[in-house]
Amino acid sequence: MSGQKERIVLDAAFQPQVRTDRDTRRLMLDVIIALIPTVIVAVLQFGVNALFLCLIGAVSAVFWEALYRFLFKKESNIGDLSAVVTGLLLSLTLPASAPWWIPVIGTMFAIVVVKQLYGGIGRNFLNPALAGRAFLLASYATLMATWNIPKALSGTVDGVTMATPLASLYSTEAAGVMPAYFSVGRLFMGYIPGSMGEISALAILIGAGYLIYRNVISWRIPVSFIGAVALITLIFGKKGFGNGEWMLYNLFSGGVLFGACFMATDYATSPVTLKGQLVFGAGCGLLTVLIRYFGGYPEGTTYAILIMNLCTWAIDKGFRRHQFGVTKADIVLQKAQELAEKEARR
Amino acid sequence: MIHTFKGGVHPNYMKAPQVPISVVAPPAEVIIPMAQHIGAPCKPVVQVGDTVRMGQVVGDNPAPVSAPVHSSVSGKVVAVEPRPHPLGDTIMSVVIENDFRDTPCDDLKPLTEEEMKDPDVILKRMRDAGVVGMGGAMFPTHFKVRGGIGKVDKLIINGAECEPYLNGDHLTMLNFPEQLLKGIELVRIASHVEKAYYGIEVNKQDAIDLLNSLHPEQYGIEIVPEAVKYPQGGEKMQVFAVTGRRVKPGALPSGVGCNVVSTRTCYAVYQACYEGRPVIDRIVTVSGSAIGRSFNALTRVGTPLGYLAEQCGGFVKTPRKIVLGGPMMGICATNFDAPTIKGISGVLYFTEDEDKSVKDPHCIRCGKCIEVCPMNLEPIFMYMYYTKGDYENLEKYHVMDCFECGSCAYNCPARMPLTHAFKTAKLMLQAKAAKEKAAAEAKAAKEAQK
Ligand code: SF4
Ligand code: SF4
Repeated sequence: MSGQKERIVLDAAFQPQVRTDRDTRRLMLDVIIALIPTVIVAVLQFGVNALFLCLIGAVSAVFWEALYRFLFKKESNIGDLSAVVTGLLLSLTLPASAPWWIPVIGTMFAIVVVKQLYGGIGRNFLNPALAGRAFLLASYATLMATWNIPKALSGTVDGVTMATPLASLYSTEAAGVMPAYFSVGRLFMGYIPGSMGEISALAILIGAGYLIYRNVISWRIPVSFIGAVALITLIFGKKGFGNGEWMLYNLFSGGVLFGACFMATDYATSPVTLKGQLVFGAGCGLLTVLIRYFGGYPEGTTYAILIMNLCTWAIDKGFRRHQFGVTKADIVLQKAQELAEKEARR
Repeated sequence: MIHTFKGGVHPNYMKAPQVPISVVAPPAEVIIPMAQHIGAPCKPVVQVGDTVRMGQVVGDNPAPVSAPVHSSVSGKVVAVEPRPHPLGDTIMSVVIENDFRDTPCDDLKPLTEEEMKDPDVILKRMRDAGVVGMGGAMFPTHFKVRGGIGKVDKLIINGAECEPYLNGDHLTMLNFPEQLLKGIELVRIASHVEKAYYGIEVNKQDAIDLLNSLHPEQYGIEIVPEAVKYPQGGEKMQVFAVTGRRVKPGALPSGVGCNVVSTRTCYAVYQACYEGRPVIDRIVTVSGSAIGRSFNALTRVGTPLGYLAEQCGGFVKTPRKIVLGGPMMGICATNFDAPTIKGISGVLYFTEDEDKSVKDPHCIRCGKCIEVCPMNLEPIFMYMYYTKGDYENLEKYHVMDCFECGSCAYNCPARMPLTHAFKTAKLMLQAKAAKEKAAAEAKAAKEAQK
């Protein structure tokens, strides 16, 4: 025994000596799991093509990430699954009618330009999936706004494509007239056209519930985001709608829920401070409604989140908390002292 | 009502209080380091060749912040020389060859009932028996308690035992409940306070029930059940959970009228006063994947770490590190020949199974470090400024308030070495402050000369 003892080299490893089991990979896996209900709804409404697009998004994102890391001789990090999440999220913002190469281009922009060029995971300041989507919107406007009729509405509506409830909601001509098949209940279930991931509020909320339950994300951003949208639309309603009805339509149509639960909560591009997260979420909600009300384009979520992404750093700086033991009185006192010092210097 | 604090983590507890206390056979040679407390180290008071009895003082220092050390066996002094210390470095130690007779030393007599009502006698006895903070802080208890007299109106006994693996406090509660209550009463009397609050995490419900059944109120003690959360046992967290008072940054609990004393320390006070027995042994939880199971081993102070492992069945796997204390705040010993000391509540022999560090960690900005920091700090930014060597911002982000609990690093999915960085950063800042002070003083001296 003592002979063996001599040969053992002991580490002076630093504390803590134990770590949680939940590493980056596990968190990303949880996000993927949380997206499953949404993917299922997409497949039910738009057929296997939806699944196909999701897979292409995930695979191509991993491909770009691996390629970039290989070309620039950096250690591969595809094991952390973050690229899979980005690819999947990007695909879910697409219409099911998108051709297969759309997610490939989108993920290239998302992974190579937005994520890796800024140093990889955790360093980017724009949400990669949303930036990829914005890039696609700018480059392929028509392809990105061609909405297939979901299975739930086939037979009810003629043709191959149709307008989304959000477009109907904000269309200037038929103010206050929502077709009967766009009832709030049907919006909630996802029996509507739209981007693959955003249609079913139910599926999104199940996924978000899972993420919050598993403490992958905190409740702060989704709740403040959705809360802000709800509050503003409740107060500033639209003629022809009951205020409550208008609010629910705004929440369940377009990307508000998906954005609030899956996009705005992206770690790298949202604040880490607790108060900051509330401010960030509320800001996203406010901008979303502003763009919807006053922008030329009904869908405000993407840009709202991207704009707030740019403010993340400032928000984190501005909404720090005080260390344990510091009371409000202490802060007032400190401020007063600082002021007095300034005065004295003058 | 269950009391707690904000933040914190729920590590995998790995506790084994069902394992009964086992007695580790004393080794053939014990090593008694002269530094087993914070403060002035002791000077040896024995020489090579002296015969010593079990419990005899072998090192002492009259400085106020100090506590004597005692021989944990009877036998002959074979060396007085620097030896490896478990917390690193080599420290002057007295090495005693065990004669396996355990001839007791009767320098300390049990106190009489009258004496146990006199705070000064109790305080003196705490010192003479070498009682230090046995939860791991190792601050001389007599000094801490004396310093609190007049300032402290609430005595808090820490029974959280929130670190994973450790069971010593729990087993002390279960096996020696009455002695423990009496020990707390003594500390309470020595502190000049009416009431002591004993905060215990509710994963020790059996101990809470047992202690409550013994009418703690007759000793002036109230049991406070606490939520199971790390670091519930941190001083500031204990004070907040029990009293709702918030210790100011950089201040001691006595600043808000509290003193926190650990379970095992109170038991040591009991032994010192009722039995006249100094601190020469304690329950040490021995565990970790290299051992493969858990032992709650009554171990003599000065037992070499390698010998301790052998006594606990030896290694089933090659150990990679020896953790002293709990795995959250414990630091590593790097020498099998280093002995256990008073403040070591656990010795964990870890293999690479417990090691989750990665080569090139990347922060993913998840904010999970912020969520759990019980001091309300922002570890992610502190780490950023640390890597940049930005002292000014490190201070602005209050790195000095970090008490190195390890919660942030524990919870970090990207495995950033946060706590370690803050430890280093604090040392750097302290060194810098000391340097600046020295420079300022030198300058002042020069000016004075002119
Ligand atoms: S927990 Fe780790 S990965 Fe998350 S923000 Fe803090 S340092 Fe970064
Ligand atoms: S910053 Fe310090 S006090 Fe806060 S969780 Fe980390 S180690 Fe603990």
